[in-house]
Amino acid sequence: MTSASSSEIWSVKRLRSLIGQIGFPIMLLLLFIFFSAATPGFLSIANLAALAHALAPVAIIASGLAMVVMAGNLDISVGSIAFLSVSIGWSLLGLGLPVPLVALVIVVSGGVLGAVNAFIVVVLRINSLITTLGTMIAFRGLALELSGTNSHTLPDGVRELGNQAIGPIFVDSIIALLVVVAIHVLHQRTAYGRQLAAVGNSALIASKIGLPVGRVIFVAFVISGCLAGLGGIFATLQVGALTAFLGRGLEFNAVAVIVVGGISLFGGAGNVLSGILLGAVTFEMIRNGLNHLDANPYAYRPISGLLIFMAMYADSFRSRGHRRK
Amino acid sequence: MMAAPGLVLSNISKRFAGVSALKGVELTAAPGEAMALLGANGAGKSTLMNILGGVIQRDEGVALLDGHPLDLASPRAARAQGIAFVHQELTMLPTLTVAENIMIDHLPTVGGLIDFKALKRRTQDLLTRLGCRFDADTRVGDLGPGDQQMIEVARALSRESRVVIFDEPTSSLTEPEKQRLFGVIQGLKSEGVIVIYITHFLDEVFATCDRVTVMRDGMLVSTGPVSAHTVASLAHEMLGEGSLAGDIPTAVPPADEVILSVAKLTRARVLSDVSFEVRSGEIVGLWGLLGSGRTELLRALVGLDPIDSGSIRLKSSGHLVTVTPSQLSRSTAFVTEDRRGEGIFPGQSVEQNLSLPTLRQLLNRFGLVDRSRERSLADDLIGRLGIKTSGRGQDIATLSGGNQQKIVFGRWLGSQPTVFLLDEPTRGLDVGAKTEILRLAVEIANGGGGVLLVASEPEELMRVCHRYLLMDRGRIVGELGRGATRDDLVARVSNRAVDEVLQ
Ligand SMILES: Nc1ncnc2c1ncn2[C@@H]1O[C@H](COP(=O)(O)OP(=O)(O)OP(=O)(O)O)[C@@H](O)[C@H]1O
Ligand SMILES: [Mg+2]
Repeated sequence: MTSASSSEIWSVKRLRSLIGQIGFPIMLLLLFIFFSAATPGFLSIANLAALAHALAPVAIIASGLAMVVMAGNLDISVGSIAFLSVSIGWSLLGLGLPVPLVALVIVVSGGVLGAVNAFIVVVLRINSLITTLGTMIAFRGLALELSGTNSHTLPDGVRELGNQAIGPIFVDSIIALLVVVAIHVLHQRTAYGRQLAAVGNSALIASKIGLPVGRVIFVAFVISGCLAGLGGIFATLQVGALTAFLGRGLEFNAVAVIVVGGISLFGGAGNVLSGILLGAVTFEMIRNGLNHLDANPYAYRPISGLLIFMAMYADSFRSRGHRRK
Repeated sequence: MMAAPGLVLSNISKRFAGVSALKGVELTAAPGEAMALLGANGAGKSTLMNILGGVIQRDEGVALLDGHPLDLASPRAARAQGIAFVHQELTMLPTLTVAENIMIDHLPTVGGLIDFKALKRRTQDLLTRLGCRFDADTRVGDLGPGDQQMIEVARALSRESRVVIFDEPTSSLTEPEKQRLFGVIQGLKSEGVIVIYITHFLDEVFATCDRVTVMRDGMLVSTGPVSAHTVASLAHEMLGEGSLAGDIPTAVPPADEVILSVAKLTRARVLSDVSFEVRSGEIVGLWGLLGSGRTELLRALVGLDPIDSGSIRLKSSGHLVTVTPSQLSRSTAFVTEDRRGEGIFPGQSVEQNLSLPTLRQLLNRFGLVDRSRERSLADDLIGRLGIKTSGRGQDIATLSGGNQQKIVFGRWLGSQPTVFLLDEPTRGLDVGAKTEILRLAVEIANGGGGVLLVASEPEELMRVCHRYLLMDRGRIVGELGRGATRDDLVARVSNRAVDEVLQ
């Protein structure tokens, strides 16, 4: 009798959490319909492809960050990692290294910078927010040292790479999708991913039951760093130049994407695939739609602020629910 | 030289911040043997087992298995050498599924990906063996404490082990679940596994264990066969000379004056039409099985869960006035069944945890908390409840489980509310402390307060209650007077459980 009556209780709870989960997609759909109806340019293949193009870098970076967040930590240095690793790549490009190798070096540098964060968090046991606030500033400083404050236009041969497309779809959109799917599989279907979620539930409990907590967190920061480097490559290609603004604010966009995507900042809960796609599309669609509406360019900020607030509110509700029992 | 097979812990010592928790403890157990480990709250049982489980490191001592030294540097190392641990405080990962929780440190994989079929099959086998009826894909956060405790056991059994430690495994289990657990322990013994069993339910020792080791204040008191003991002799060894708390005074008959009146309290699918009254000086026992709605009723009363309809009236300056649950919660003492989740504030000191409900009365004329009064309140409560702590400044999270429970109850004694809602207030307490809490409940009643008491053990209710409310599936299905026997109580709810099975 116990199980019968309690399963009824929980089904009410499920219904409520279902509403919590599908509330955002429904709002997104309504927005989509609104923009499509209100502006002529929004619902066109070219515009939707441009939308998917524009969100690619942040989607890639947010995927990596999602790993760190799932483990109950935070990495706000991803924007600076993007900048510094691309700057390193830029120097090597100047030395005449072939482009694919430079790309690889950028991703690896991102991983190394992620490992620096990981070392401070895991070995020196400093809070991850404090750590990455520090490295956010430090990495950006190093990058400015390396590439100067002037912007550097990319060589034509390299710049063209940013416009590669298969049919109407830009290559970076496809790569972003592959990255999100790969991270999703890593999180959901590998032993590492499940241990990551376990650590996010409680690092203390995870270590009590014998999970390699330090290693799990370390790897998450390295993945986050690598993907920050990769996202930095596409962000640079989209601009066509390496500027001192590269990656600035990206960390906050990435956090916003994660929060709006329903990945809990408390750790351990969320779905990478639907979360990152939902979050990234939401922000880009609003930005793009407002442009088409000829809205005041500053309108985007308060609106996205409101969105983030609503998402956090929903998250605190959900987390309260699962923390209680 | 051939060493004796089995586990040997020798001369184990451990100090925390200068305070000795273990002083040269010895413990041995042979393969196929179940060793009971007993001691009062704070005696050091969990600390000793945490050392064996690699959770904390010993300062001194030797640990051998079959004559070979054990590497107990981490839980992982201990586990790899066949030591499984059912923790006193549940170690659940609420956002993961049951299967993932059980197998988290050895998930089966093919080609780098988790083999979910094998995972499910293997967990389902374990759950069947334990007689659990929930699905392996359920999210653990959606299950109650009893089910979670079974998952904790399942995790320990999921790997081949040489030693299985059970640290108070039955504190949230129902009777049938307990019986199944005992069956599993018999199975482990016949496979030659060493079982170490910690409990405060002394009768369980006689049902499951072969030998018994008693600890007191971090030291070994005695070790020997269970057959040489009685419940009384064990209690005596645990608590030492003269500290067996005296008898519980009889509660005087309650006055006629109703101080809490609840009418038609309803919460969809959880509580329906719950009505009852509590009189001044009365201790009302709320009896029902796990999941009957008893915890849910208390939670709804104090506003932790929303209610759909119904009214609550509370005596206030001579009249019964209608109050909301959150108003009620401000003038009642509420002891939660979920100590770790809701009862304590980890990271805060014993003193801060004790003074919480009383802070308003401790303000000085500047509106700040008067530290010296706070301190003396804390010292007073520590003394009255016999809370074992190195000082009022100790982090509550580092107290033994039973001593944390004493604080969850004891903090209300300072503010002296008239209504006490107690959900399993004696969970995890040793026999002496249990008696002490029940004695305090009687004192509260004799002082004119009203107590609503939930307990899983009918014997416990029967020691103090004036009458019993019987709960089943969110309803109050009956009421029994003081003279009711254990069988009366059990029969009323178990008949229904049987009906359910037959349907
Ligand atoms: N991390 C710690 N820091 C300080 N003191 C500690 C710590 N862990 C345990 N202690 C102290 O060690 C003593 C023994 O605690 P332990 O948890 O082993 O008791 P126990 O026998 O398991 O009691 P219970 O029956 O209440 O669970 C207690 O006095 C406790 O306060
Ligand atoms: Mg203990």
